[in-house]
Parts: sequence; C-alpha cells; structure tokens
Amino acid sequence: MSLSASPMPSSPLPSPDAPGHAAATGPAIKPAFALSESADAFHVEVALPGVNKDGLELLAENGKIRIIGRRAWRKPADWTSLYRETSDDGFELVLTHDRHVDTGRITAELRDGLLRVALPKAEELKPRKIKID
Amino acid sequence: MTMRLVHYSYPVAYRGFAPLAARFNRSPWSGLETEIDRLFTAAQGEAGGAAPPGRFPVDVYEDKANTYVRAELPGVDRKAINVEVVEGNLTLSAERKTPAAEGRAETSISLRRSLQLGEKVQADRITAAYENGVLTVTLPKPEEARPKKITVTVS
Repeated sequence: MSLSASPMPSSPLPSPDAPGHAAATGPAIKPAFALSESADAFHVEVALPGVNKDGLELLAENGKIRIIGRRAWRKPADWTSLYRETSDDGFELVLTHDRHVDTGRITAELRDGLLRVALPKAEELKPRKIKID
Repeated sequence: MTMRLVHYSYPVAYRGFAPLAARFNRSPWSGLETEIDRLFTAAQGEAGGAAPPGRFPVDVYEDKANTYVRAELPGVDRKAINVEVVEGNLTLSAERKTPAAEGRAETSISLRRSLQLGEKVQADRITAAYENGVLTVTLPKPEEARPKKITVTVS
C-alpha cells in the first residue's frame, strides 16, 4: 500500500500556497476512515458527520491529500447540553502518498456525512501486460 | 426512515438521561476498558466508523419545549433508521451498508443505541430528521412540564 495516514492530524500549518485555509480551521479531530485499493485506484472512506459540502475542503499537494471538514450545525442559543459524547470540533485528515496518485483525476463524493474519495493510480503503477515477441 | 412508537407504560419519574450501553458489566473496570478501547480505535482512525461496532455517539440537549437527541450516524441507509420508544427507553437503530467492491462482498453493520428518557415525553409527537449523517430526534415535553409565564393583571 503506497498510501498512509500521518500519525497525528497536522496542526493547521500556515502555508503560503493557501493563506485562507489555515485561519479558517479551528481545533480539529481525526475522523474515522478506511482505506482500500483496487487495480486502478486507492479508495478512502471518511466519516464526517455533520459536515456538508460547503464545509468540506479537499487539498492535494506535495504528495499529501488533506481533508478538512467543518460542522454545519451549531447549537441554538436557547438549547442546553444535558449529555455530550460528540465534539463540536471540525475534522482533519492528512494522507501521505508516494506520488503514485494521479492528482488531476481525484474524485470525491460526500453523502450523508460520509466522504468517498477515489485516488486514481498514476499510469506507471497500474498493472500492465507486457507483450512478448 | 421509519418510525415506530410503542408506548406501553408511563416513563420513569426521575430526571436526566443515562446511556444504557455497557454500563453494567462484570467488573467495575469493564466500562473503562471499553472506553479506552474506543479511544484507541478512534485514535487509530481505522475501521471506518464508530467503534466498538454497533455503537455510535449521541448528544442530548433540551430547550423549554423539547428534548433533543442527536446521533452521529454517517453514511447509513435513511430508510433503515428506526426510532422507537418503549417503556421510557428511546432506541435508535440503523444499518450501515458498505457497497461491494473489487474482491469484497457487500457488508452490513447493525447499529443500535438506547437511552433512558428521564422525563415524560409526548410520545405521539416525536419527530426525527436525518441530515449530513446526523440524526436529530425531537421529543416534545408534555404541556405541564413546560415553564409557563402567567401574567396577572393588577387592578
């Protein structure tokens, strides 16, 4: 498997390439996720409950896939918390790959708080049948 | 989404919600172990969902008129969500299906959580909504339990 998760969610790094992103994210927790592989792509499923399309950012740069999700829901002012198990923090997941991903063809679908990302393998990584003369 | 409401008996009289999951196990530490397991699994981030399997996190809120239970259930089949009230217990259950992929058959996990409703609710007026993978159940308080404002005219 040439795709791995960084051990800890990276702190929002101020990056000159993306000035807006770092400021927009607050504290973040690492979401539950699952990786799988098929012949021509890697697949990532990330649980992002409470995140909608507007609050989701997917960045691919320098051998990293960064997924940032902010929760769409905020507790109304007149609601009182009686018991909490979840967090209001957003989500951040950084996956590192060895640049065998064709970043130009990454596709992602967010549905009911579950993000499915397909990371197509670069041509040289796909199985190839070699013709023998 | 289906909603079955079976309301057999009066809800318990005391206030407050107590999650019933894995509280009364053999040793006094068993609950803690489960909690630690959960934290570790969460830290590892694998397995693609709530751990241990079947459990999912819930929050309870209230305002003057309602009690609200919010449950994180990302990626479940909306039609397979069940909200049930039996004898003052609210049970939420759902099914998470992972579609079949290369070399892998379709898998299905049953998810279930029960909460004890500490306060009376108007069981026939409970509503539920599923949005962005979060289920919100609205449990209306009975009229007499709501704070009332009475204006007295002084003549």
